[in-house]
Amino acid sequence: MSIEAINEQLLRAIGVGVALVDLETLKLRFRNDTFAGWFGTAEESAKLVELFPGLDSAELTKALNNGGRHTTEASFKIRRRTMTVAMEFSHALDAGEKIAVLVCQNITRIKELESMIDSYSVMVERNTLEIKREKEQVEKLLLNMMPRAAYEEYKSTGIVAPRAFEPVSALTLQFVDFHDLLQEHDPGVIVSELNDIYTAFDRIGEQFGCERVRTNGDSYISVAGVPDAVHDHVGAVADTAVRFLRYLNQRNNSHPIKWKARIGIASGSVIGSVVGVQKYIYDVFGPAVSRALVLRRQAETMSIAADPEFTELLDGRFEIAKMSAIGFAQGDMAGAVKVSARVGSPPENTPKHDT
Amino acid sequence: MFEKYGGFSTISRVVMSFYDRMLDDDDVGPFFEDVDLPKLIDHQTKFISAIMGGPASFSDEHLAGAHKHLVINDMHFDRLKVLVQETLTDFDVISEDIETVLDAFEQRRHLIVRPLNVD
Repeated sequence: MSIEAINEQLLRAIGVGVALVDLETLKLRFRNDTFAGWFGTAEESAKLVELFPGLDSAELTKALNNGGRHTTEASFKIRRRTMTVAMEFSHALDAGEKIAVLVCQNITRIKELESMIDSYSVMVERNTLEIKREKEQVEKLLLNMMPRAAYEEYKSTGIVAPRAFEPVSALTLQFVDFHDLLQEHDPGVIVSELNDIYTAFDRIGEQFGCERVRTNGDSYISVAGVPDAVHDHVGAVADTAVRFLRYLNQRNNSHPIKWKARIGIASGSVIGSVVGVQKYIYDVFGPAVSRALVLRRQAETMSIAADPEFTELLDGRFEIAKMSAIGFAQGDMAGAVKVSARVGSPPENTPKHDT
Repeated sequence: MFEKYGGFSTISRVVMSFYDRMLDDDDVGPFFEDVDLPKLIDHQTKFISAIMGGPASFSDEHLAGAHKHLVINDMHFDRLKVLVQETLTDFDVISEDIETVLDAFEQRRHLIVRPLNVD
């Protein structure tokens, strides 16, 4: 067997589709077995555009006449399978005739894999987005339970070390006759009202640098100076307390349920820490909170009780009056004062309730 | 199961093998005659990933919607189950896991098969 014959046999047997194209007529002159298996053998002198309707013959001729190459892709069906081949035409001279060699590589599997990766990527991206959304929800929940600094510490170390904060101020509020309200109204109504009121309290506190520590039914506790120091923490709780009462008064004018509260405010130190392992919660407790609770118990309805030092610290910004010592049941209440807004002070920054 | 058998690396080969079997099969292959390639691959990738516990959401509504225009009967469905079984066996999935997959498949029969007496 001659070398030419061996070459032709090899050419016919390889898994790549090979054909020779007459560039003058754009007709096929030779095709190997693989090419014939894909595109048929019936029309020996078939024109290229008949086999590949999508082929840009003008572009092909132009590229090859300039001695270059032309590449494109073609898809076709064999039984039910969509096949895709990468076609490369390259110019060849055969005794002065203009001939192009067409090599077709089967890239069907690559196309199928590309489609699969696209599909899988979309699924993974969607899952990643869902996980991200869930993570944000968890973060939001945890940030409702603890300050961001504590959350960051918890995220990186798995624990939150107890930390002392001083000086800070605490505000504690309790509704008067809460038990009666519970008996008179549907629990759902009371919860809805509390939700409305506590949301407004949160907004008011936020404006003055106070952050809610916890609520417990009829009790609302907020602090200024945890975790970030607040320069005028005394003024912050006083401003907040005055606006809490102003908000309740305004709300009572337009709502059937009349909410009455008493408030205690105090300064000192507190400890901030996550308490619990399985059911953990960030808690703030210590002398300032305890003192505010004592003062609150002694405050008159719809008034604010504070320690006498507040008189100087508040620097004439509020009306300060001595409280009556009658009825003080516990603790040293000597000299406790009643804090209220100065007459004529503008009701600015009082957020409207949500209902 | 998805992680157990090598994640996407294995699943991609399972999908391709299943895809080949489906197209070559004279009972179920004709259903894919006029479906374009990306759509068919997308369908298979989601389906195989979903039944093997991978990151895919293939809801019952989606499944029913994708097959509602096809007249698929129990014979086709049974044949498809055989192809699933053969494919997973080829990839050395243990018989217990294959059963789990086929059970998941069976639970969705009513979404895919159209009763013969209903026009």
